[in-house]
Amino acid sequence: MTEETTAPLLEVSNLRTWFPSTRGEIKAVDGVSFSLAPGEVLGLVGESGSGKSITGFSIIGLIDEPGRIVEGSIKLEGRELIGLQPHELREIRGKTISMVFQDPMMTLNPVLSIGTQIRLALEAHEKIGAAEARNRAIKALAQVRITEPERKVDFFPHQFSGGMRQRVAIAIALLHRPKLIICDEPTTALDVSIQAEILAEMKELVAELGTALIWISHDLATVASIADRVAVMRFGKIVEIGPALGVLTRPQHDYTKALLDALPSRAKPGELLLRGSGIADATPPSRKTATGDLPPLGSPYLVIDTAVKRFEKNAGLFKNMAIRAGIAQPQAVVQAVDGVSITLKRGEVLGLVGESGSGKSTLGRMAAGITVPTSGTIRLAGRPIMSAGRSPRKITTRVQTIFQDPFASLNSRMRVGDIVAEGPLAHRLVSRAEAPGYVGQWLSAVGLDPSFANRFPHQFSGGQRQRIAIARALAMQPDVVVCDEPVASLDVSIQAQIINLLIRLRSELDLSLIFISHDLSVVRHLCDRVAIMYRGRIVEEGDAAGIYDDPQHDYTKRLLAAVPVLPIAA
Amino acid sequence: MLGFILQRLWQAAIVVLAMSALVFCGVYAVGNPIDVLISPDATQDIRAAVIAQYGLDLPLWQQYLGFLGRVLEGDFGRSFVYNMPVSELILSRLPATLELTLAAVLFASLVGIPIGMYAGYRPNSPVSRAIMALSILGFSVPTFWFGLMLIMLFAVQCGCMPAGGRGDTVSLFGVDFSFLTANGLSHMVLPALNLALFKFSLMIRLARAGTRELMLSDTVKFARAAGISEFTILSRHVLRLISIPLVTVFGLEFGSTLAFAVVTETIFSWPGLGKLIIDSITSLDRPVMVAYLMLVAMLFIVINLVVDLTYALLDPRLRKGRA
Repeated sequence: MTEETTAPLLEVSNLRTWFPSTRGEIKAVDGVSFSLAPGEVLGLVGESGSGKSITGFSIIGLIDEPGRIVEGSIKLEGRELIGLQPHELREIRGKTISMVFQDPMMTLNPVLSIGTQIRLALEAHEKIGAAEARNRAIKALAQVRITEPERKVDFFPHQFSGGMRQRVAIAIALLHRPKLIICDEPTTALDVSIQAEILAEMKELVAELGTALIWISHDLATVASIADRVAVMRFGKIVEIGPALGVLTRPQHDYTKALLDALPSRAKPGELLLRGSGIADATPPSRKTATGDLPPLGSPYLVIDTAVKRFEKNAGLFKNMAIRAGIAQPQAVVQAVDGVSITLKRGEVLGLVGESGSGKSTLGRMAAGITVPTSGTIRLAGRPIMSAGRSPRKITTRVQTIFQDPFASLNSRMRVGDIVAEGPLAHRLVSRAEAPGYVGQWLSAVGLDPSFANRFPHQFSGGQRQRIAIARALAMQPDVVVCDEPVASLDVSIQAQIINLLIRLRSELDLSLIFISHDLSVVRHLCDRVAIMYRGRIVEEGDAAGIYDDPQHDYTKRLLAAVPVLPIAA
Repeated sequence: MLGFILQRLWQAAIVVLAMSALVFCGVYAVGNPIDVLISPDATQDIRAAVIAQYGLDLPLWQQYLGFLGRVLEGDFGRSFVYNMPVSELILSRLPATLELTLAAVLFASLVGIPIGMYAGYRPNSPVSRAIMALSILGFSVPTFWFGLMLIMLFAVQCGCMPAGGRGDTVSLFGVDFSFLTANGLSHMVLPALNLALFKFSLMIRLARAGTRELMLSDTVKFARAAGISEFTILSRHVLRLISIPLVTVFGLEFGSTLAFAVVTETIFSWPGLGKLIIDSITSLDRPVMVAYLMLVAMLFIVINLVVDLTYALLDPRLRKGRA
């Protein structure tokens, strides 16, 4: 819209960035063209591997070896950037174009103070004295709304929360008043309420300083709330580009439509998502454990009664002795879960929602018999989940867990078949002779080829691994499955597949699920009942529809208000 | 912080006590020093008198308790061979080893770390590959052979370096040091180089591994995106981040070199602790062995304490918990 009236700030045409590999060139970016007017915000959307980040790194000239820009042109205010000498590019970086990364935990140097890091960034482009640099650093922190900047300038990154760290990173990116900032998933690692704050501040700052922005994200909703224009990327190409509202409400390209259809926020709760289906999933094997003694669907099943979990710091020999003798006070403790009582009915899906540090995962781990509660009881059909005594052990196989990170939760040195069979064999659910057939049945039940049993986890994608993790949990023939952020690290289309899988398996196996997530739209879609956790307590609990449509507690209201919403087509 | 140091000192006391018991019993098992101490043709009376004089007729635990009591008074006993107080003997040899070790470890670090960082910064360049190949060689070449080669090349063939001894020393605070005179310094070069070889290779490999990993990190990418020059990134960001494992290894190597520089000191006839302990083992000089091994234990404890305190200095994240 603005291209005709103003000269573009940035013009990218036919950009190709390739990475040589043993199996030929990987065309990470393969013919991308777009232009950006001064002060404009462009959202670059795509799933992992679509080339959106590599596009950003190509523009700022930071492609790691052995990757290289094969052809194309990147013009900044008419000046060609491709082919510039390293020192010429360095002159531009930080001064005219700067960048903010996804994880502020990783980007800031943990051993240098914030003030030092800002000074180094200042010295990169101007001669500046120590006192002057400190003043500028304080001003820069104040600009990104960090309170008490005079004191905080001497802080180290670990003394800041995630949101504050990202503000520091933004402050560094803004130091030299760049004309363009590239933000690569800048709010992905943050909680929704922090994300909402950063989004709002970023919008203000950009408008105030007239900086153009390339906002790279996998999340259509955040992009919708900040971008003027949106470009959707897939396989290194832009498949659709246009005004944000138009692209998101009246998508032209099939892929954009597919991305939007995969979002749980756009479907009716409980229904299969449009793009998630399409895999011919086999029926899971019939269970061998006795089901006769299970209570009927809908009756209280897993009962958590005033569960408390405290994490105490180990004080060391002397201090412990002193504490026992009553001379010293015990060390500060972290009260992860603070007296939570909740009941999971049989056949129900209970959503546990909260921001990081709210204690939702700890509660889930206690429900699954992984973590011992400091006090309180957790019972399944009236029987405790863990044995009593000095070193409690989990004594039931009826509760199983699916973890967030399918890369970390599968043993990389074991074959998939052995991973799935390990538990059932140990608990004699199957004999060694039956195991391969049993594993095959479960693999096909989660939509994987039974022949995959001979492969190793690294040969699978994230979504496939999560299916393996689901097969592993279900092969134990549980009644209750605790899902701890099972779709948080997956792309939207994969996420939709896993959500559909869970919906289907749940009804086929009469499973009860505890679904832990920070993603309110996924929870809404999947859960019958929702509990909102805040600082170790449940602040609100009720039917999913009730909570979302008519939240009572202030925190719930704030949480729901912070969720970016996609514009809906008229 | 004070609590932390006190706790470490308490741990140190236990370790030293355990060490003394272990060493005392171990040395007791090695052999009877009486056979070395008196001539074979001495009469039975003299023999009995000497045994009684050194308390060697008492049961082991009494000997040990007696020894502990004397240690608490600062008396480590007298050397059987040199017939002088052990503490004096060790202190007279310590400076020689200390300066040699320090020179070796400092050389290994100050030269090895930058070379290693370069190799990690440009992992695929031919120079880096050559550095890595040589560092493997540095690991695998036996110290004694390398020492002999150094002597052959620089002392025998070229004649530009002395082959052994400490050369001229200067007394500083009542202790003799070689590194303050040109002649002493030239005597130090070859043994220090020999002693440094292994540590040098180790530092190169450690620095390279750390740098290589960090160059791909978001911290470095973010610094680059801010336009910070490569040199500043390496010297300010990367060096600080890789310094913690380096300091650990520096401490361990410093300790073990100080304690076990035996081979190098023997080859270059450097009158340090290594030679002393070898001599005392061959002559079953019990007091020297026991005192020396306890000193080594203490050295390691002190060095580890210093290393731990340095961590807190290098990494602000460790400061809070230990305050």
